Amino acid sequence: MKTIIQLFRNSYRIFWNDKVGVALTFLVPLALMSIFGSIFGGSGAGPQGIRLAVLNQSSAAVAKEIENALDTSKAFQTIKSYKDENGKQVLFDSVSIKEYVRAGRASAALILPSDAYSDTSLGLSLKFYFDPKNDIEIQTTKGLIKQIVFSQFPSIISQSGFKQAERYLGTKEGEGFKRGIASTLHKYFKVDTNAFLHPNFSNKLSTGNDSTKKSFNFMDKIIRIEEQQLVGQDLKNPWATRSVGGWAMTFLLFTLTASSSSLFDDRKSGVMLRLLTSPVSRVQILWSKYLFNMSLGIIQLLFMFVAGWLLFDVDIFSNLFNLLLIIIAASMACTSFGMLLAAFSQTRQQAQGLGTFFILTMSAVGGAWFPTAFMPPTIQFFSKLTIVYWSMDGFLEVLWRGVGLSSILPNLGILVGVSVAVSIISVRRFRSGDIFS
Amino acid sequence: MVSINDVTKKFSAVVALDNISLDIQSQEFFGLLGPNGAGKTTLMNLIVGYLNTDGGAITIDGDAVSQDTLELRKNIGFVPQSLALYDEMNAQENLEMFGKLFGVPDAVLKQRIADQLKAVELYERRKDKVKNFSGGMKRRLNIIASMLHDPKVLLCDEPTVGVDPQSRNAIFDFLTGLNKQGKTIIYTTHYMEEAERLCSRIAIIDHGKIIALGTTDELLEKLPYEETIMITRNDVTAKQKAMLQEFGSLEDVDDHYELKPTAGFKLSRFFARMEETGIKYQWIELHRPTLEALFLQLTGRRLRD
Repeated sequence: MKTIIQLFRNSYRIFWNDKVGVALTFLVPLALMSIFGSIFGGSGAGPQGIRLAVLNQSSAAVAKEIENALDTSKAFQTIKSYKDENGKQVLFDSVSIKEYVRAGRASAALILPSDAYSDTSLGLSLKFYFDPKNDIEIQTTKGLIKQIVFSQFPSIISQSGFKQAERYLGTKEGEGFKRGIASTLHKYFKVDTNAFLHPNFSNKLSTGNDSTKKSFNFMDKIIRIEEQQLVGQDLKNPWATRSVGGWAMTFLLFTLTASSSSLFDDRKSGVMLRLLTSPVSRVQILWSKYLFNMSLGIIQLLFMFVAGWLLFDVDIFSNLFNLLLIIIAASMACTSFGMLLAAFSQTRQQAQGLGTFFILTMSAVGGAWFPTAFMPPTIQFFSKLTIVYWSMDGFLEVLWRGVGLSSILPNLGILVGVSVAVSIISVRRFRSGDIFS
Repeated sequence: MVSINDVTKKFSAVVALDNISLDIQSQEFFGLLGPNGAGKTTLMNLIVGYLNTDGGAITIDGDAVSQDTLELRKNIGFVPQSLALYDEMNAQENLEMFGKLFGVPDAVLKQRIADQLKAVELYERRKDKVKNFSGGMKRRLNIIASMLHDPKVLLCDEPTVGVDPQSRNAIFDFLTGLNKQGKTIIYTTHYMEEAERLCSRIAIIDHGKIIALGTTDELLEKLPYEETIMITRNDVTAKQKAMLQEFGSLEDVDDHYELKPTAGFKLSRFFARMEETGIKYQWIELHRPTLEALFLQLTGRRLRD
């Protein structure tokens, strides 16, 4: 028993001496818990800032109330105009709003048409256009829009009913009818008469309780939402097309971090010393490592996309040139990331540990696992600072939307720019660090 | 050939080499002997241009060496203390890879690899992965990996660490053969037997300074005595310890006494006293003093302290 206790204590001593290991043991789960927690109810914030294009063509008060409710909802960032070729802000029309979604500038569009609500009809008609590039986000968007619209249900049904009563009974009789109904409801059901006669359109989201959910089917008949998918409807396997980029990026980062860390193996084995006593400079060693890692990254990404094509019918050939460009840029950026970790770590274990931490965090924050719209605004800001975000976005633009070179130039520019900047930092650090000593 | 002039090297506050000067001639088998941490490896790293000096200069055939003089490294072969080989590659692949870094043409390289592998008796194992080699085999491969470009000077930094006696002898024979073929060899070790056996000239280095330099004979002449006398320890000799100390300093070493005679020591008088006190001749051995003794004399410490 003494021996076991001694060995047990020894294990803790070794563990404790590896400060980076200790930090990672607690930091990695803490970071992921925080991210997941903030998304799946920990903070209770729900999705925020989903880009929704809105066009209200109706003059009905209820349509205005729905528009206001969307504007004030934290879940949405409503957009009502776009910049034309001359840089001038132009309000959407029913054509441009669809183009806006097709171009990937908003996830979805909601049109409240001029006949959305009329005095002669019972209920409300809406048009919903969407790009399911991110399926979870679109499903959530649909749900939230329904909740907002349904929260106006009392107004819609009462207003529709009263309008119909006024049509058939005349204005005066209709008013009497309304008061009679209100009085009866107040007497027997303790309903606020004023609220019934002058409904206050809620701009709060429905809580989605059981009764609301049960009434959805019924309400679907009152509130008609015409849906149309604008992008990706011809794809054979939307799910695989969407997810292959995210998975590819996560594994690419793991591969390239491990590969960059092989510099530590070379140092430990003495091979680095042999290389540095050959007619080889430090910069040449770094370049060779960089090129190897980048080419390995390209091969791995190609392999994953080809596998996606073979196994899941992901169409990689329609836009192959642009896909290759994004693959190269993503590999460059990920290689630089791996080299940076190696440059700032003291040992292979440290580099691997830090790599695991940053890869999981970047993948989560960058949107590889779930939509960034589900994250708090601060994390959404950091999301755009990750190479995962820009790589995945590039893959989706190419595979999902089939865009041309000009559309992915921002992605290419950012990824290559990050790669160059990070590489310069890494090379400087390598020169002053002890990987070569 | 290799000229080291007033070279100083510091690592933070630690002075690894303190104003060292040496001249190593062409075709010389030169030894750097000293304990661990004396500065031998630092000096080798400076000669090969892996490190830059903090003062002074090193030249090879008149050309100054530094980290930036990559071309000059084609004249130097460096055998590092560590086994600088790719374990997952086979012997031939390792040699091809390192040889190509020096720009050796393919046909020449192929022939040299075959010749060198045969010379160190690894030709039959050339397709085996290095990870399956014994320590001695790896050491031999480690040496030939450093000389595929046919360097003028070969730097060997303790190339026999952890090697069995048989492999060590094979390495000694190989290096001696190279030296006879005209290669200049600079060899560091903390084994005085190796230095004595291999090197025509030796610099003893300690705390970053050269404390003695010369051939083995020249170095041993610095000792105040010409031989060390070993006397078996037993009841008889133990009783005569005081008498033995009259002839010099007496030290208990393992199962015997080691006598280092004082100046004016006469062997004839010593043997006469042995006879008088009953100490038998077969209990006495005369040894030529070693470099270890010189190091002890110069520093008050043993080489492996």
